[in-house]
Amino acid sequence: MAPFKREENGEISIEISTQESHVLISLTEQLLELLSQGDSHFEAQDPLLHLVGISDSDALPDDPVLRRLFPDAYEDLASSSEFRRYTEYGLREKKKAHARIIYEALTSQGEPEEITGGNTPIDKGSFKLIINSAELLDWLSGLNDLRLALAVRLGIGEGRKEGMNIDTKAIHNKYELMLESDPMKAVYAVYSWIGWLQQGLLEEISPE
Amino acid sequence: MALGTATQVDSEVDLKADRPWVCIVWDDPVNLMAYVTYVFMVLFGYSKERATELMLKVHNEGRAQVSSGTREEMERDVQRLHEYGLWATLQRDNEY
Repeated sequence: MAPFKREENGEISIEISTQESHVLISLTEQLLELLSQGDSHFEAQDPLLHLVGISDSDALPDDPVLRRLFPDAYEDLASSSEFRRYTEYGLREKKKAHARIIYEALTSQGEPEEITGGNTPIDKGSFKLIINSAELLDWLSGLNDLRLALAVRLGIGEGRKEGMNIDTKAIHNKYELMLESDPMKAVYAVYSWIGWLQQGLLEEISPE
Repeated sequence: MALGTATQVDSEVDLKADRPWVCIVWDDPVNLMAYVTYVFMVLFGYSKERATELMLKVHNEGRAQVSSGTREEMERDVQRLHEYGLWATLQRDNEY
């Protein structure tokens, strides 16, 4: 069943199970946390620079996910650092805004009591959500950031800068053959599922 | 008439000197093909045909030049592409 659907009035809706919604909520929450890392550093700096979105920091982020979300803009280090100093703060804020839109849309549905109730069976119900047309692009790029983050943890895309040919089929086979008990298999399943969600949304909104 | 011609030549030279930077998008195994096409359409206002053509070039050749202009314009394009998770860089036109 396609999760995203165009309603008769032209609005885009998503129908999602409570469990799936919880997965997305938890992932966007983690992404928001990661994107806020180092915020204190941004805040501790010159308040005037902070106001105009310029950072004191021009170093490549430590976390590999952040490095993937904020790649170098230039081949040479000096220009890249300069670019980072002027843009990374603003980019972080934009990516946070994308993630927050997904997070808030899903959490606005309220917590079903069954889930927090301990031993009671998990609620398998689903709900439908209308997505504001002005927020479609936020959803798309927010889902994309989640995939990028998971891909880094899965080791997908390593070596791309060296011009290594990346065989997505081989990656897929690697995780397909993994033992069910391997936690990375579940991570790959979530990664694939978000790709499927994103593809579904693109099919609904891409012009013919 | 002669003056007019000279002015035209001058403005052509200026135009060229003004656009020595290009924005490059690199292949990435994560971003979906339909997503890359969609981002090109939304950010650059390219037609579906043009956006698809560029996406395929990135996919098949490992990279594609997606826009050109002044350094400031290309920095803005790279920034917007990074916002949407595409792997983009900028460089001088003659380096490409």
